Amino acid sequence: MRASDYVVLRTQALRKTYRVAGGRNLVAVDGVDIALHAGETLAIVGESGSGKSTVARCVLRLVEPTGGDIEVNGRSIMQLGSVSLASLYREVQMVFQDPTASLNPRMTVRQVLHEPLRLHLAMERSQREKRALALVDMVGLPAAHLDRYPHELSGGQRQRVGIARAIAAEPNVVILDEPTSSLDVSVRGQILDLLLRLQAELKLAYLFISHDLQVVRHVADRVAVMYLGGIVETGPAEAVFARPTHPYTRALLSAAPVAQWGVKRVRLRLIGEISSPIDPPDACRLVGRCPLEQPSCSRKRPPLLAVDAEHSAACPVVLGHEREAIPGAEALSRRSGGEGGATGARL
Amino acid sequence: MSDVLLSVENFSGAFRAADGRLTPVLHDVNFALRTGAITAVVGETGSGKSLTALSILGIQPATFVRTSGRILFEGRDLLTLGATALRAIRGRRISMVFQDARAAMNPVFTVGQQLAEVFRLQHGGSRDAAMAKAIDALRRVSIPEPERRARQYPHEFSGGMAQRAMIAMAALICRPTLLILDEPTTGLDVTIQSEIMELIVELGRSAGLTACLITHDLGVVAETCDAVVVMNAGRVVETGTAEAIFTAPQHAYTRKLLAASLLVPA
Repeated sequence: MRASDYVVLRTQALRKTYRVAGGRNLVAVDGVDIALHAGETLAIVGESGSGKSTVARCVLRLVEPTGGDIEVNGRSIMQLGSVSLASLYREVQMVFQDPTASLNPRMTVRQVLHEPLRLHLAMERSQREKRALALVDMVGLPAAHLDRYPHELSGGQRQRVGIARAIAAEPNVVILDEPTSSLDVSVRGQILDLLLRLQAELKLAYLFISHDLQVVRHVADRVAVMYLGGIVETGPAEAVFARPTHPYTRALLSAAPVAQWGVKRVRLRLIGEISSPIDPPDACRLVGRCPLEQPSCSRKRPPLLAVDAEHSAACPVVLGHEREAIPGAEALSRRSGGEGGATGARL
Repeated sequence: MSDVLLSVENFSGAFRAADGRLTPVLHDVNFALRTGAITAVVGETGSGKSLTALSILGIQPATFVRTSGRILFEGRDLLTLGATALRAIRGRRISMVFQDARAAMNPVFTVGQQLAEVFRLQHGGSRDAAMAKAIDALRRVSIPEPERRARQYPHEFSGGMAQRAMIAMAALICRPTLLILDEPTTGLDVTIQSEIMELIVELGRSAGLTACLITHDLGVVAETCDAVVVMNAGRVVETGTAEAIFTAPQHAYTRKLLAASLLVPA
């Protein structure tokens, strides 16, 4: 359940377009509204080209949004200059996908951790050293690792350093951009446990960007499913996993393999590959790929419609019908029962 | 069903440093690939799964040396074959699909040219006939508009389409007895991944292929493979049918890997 009603991060009609050849526009993010509450985890789920990472980068102004608004702790960050942006990074920090690429190979762990303490908290050296020691301890690394360089650490240890750096300046929002995608599965669970523990201890709100549905199901309170630049379904994680409504959500969930014997998935299959994001028409994003397509789908882009109180999906076709009659729903609700899913689905 | 196509027997190997010192990385690896089956070799980083697969084709890194064991394919030890004999086996008898298909293809030739060239190397014939075979192979792996796609370069293909073309080359143009797939869907989106795996299973069945799937993803294995070899730190820790590995894993590492894949406590 939601930890708080206080919204730490809000985007409204967030839009990012890129000019491409021929004066056309590539629409990477198209009207995304999200509200992240204090202490909760909101997962943005999607595949390549969905715009999920662009949303994450816009929130930190690493990518300049083309339109819409972003508020962090009640303050719009759209007009911040470079000096005020530094103050934003006290409130919002990011953990990147590849811990090897996101750590300076010439800096020791100590130097990596001292930097945000010096820049954001203006700490003296002795204070920094004390805090750096506390930080490595919080992320489960021995103090001796402070003197190591990234190449002397394993992938999981490097990601722990990335996490320590992100929480160093005591932000209340952390953007996690695929934080476990480059890790082995046995390490993935440890890093997720660490993130969950830190969230509880430090009351952090996580914007969790991921394509890994297993991971999202494990950590998220709420989920937003993105496809081709827009949110097609959003709601509490258990509702979205138990009653996926939008055809894209169903296709995505029913395509994810499960490491269990005898799980039989009822697939909802999309046709072909993701459509072009260049000058997309005012139509449903799934037009041309959706097995449930109706003529009305091409006329206008459907808005998010209520499924339940907090669960909504942008598909009037599914919501106008008896949901259980459509493939992809039944298998998924079966898989959602119990930890790890697939209860009763063995053959 | 004891018909074994390839067996890795007591295979050990090491990396040789510049000063001649050996660092052992594979320890007494044993497993067999049954004819007509899809066998998964599963492991995490550093398990030795890819090194073992590359050794089958003789394309292991130059610093890797075998210290003992053999790899028997149709009664012959592949590790003792010379360059010419190996070349006769590569592609024709055993072919391979790599992780990043776009990187594995030549960027300056069209996809059709590359498939056609491999066809001519293996089977001879005219350029036009080879190109027709290439287009036919692209069609059979469900690439839309295969005539147009054959004229495109690898960079014009999406990751999923390039992997389809790679599979067309390795399985349909080469027509091998054994197909080795090294992480064929890693890096692909899950909706694309499941289609690629279905294609592999379907081709395996229809073409009577024996396949060896190198992967870290137990989810993919559960749905597609007949047998599983679990590797950890250069050793085979468990082998068995897929059903046995998933329903009654014996080794502690296998249990740990399964629990981690499902994110449940071990």
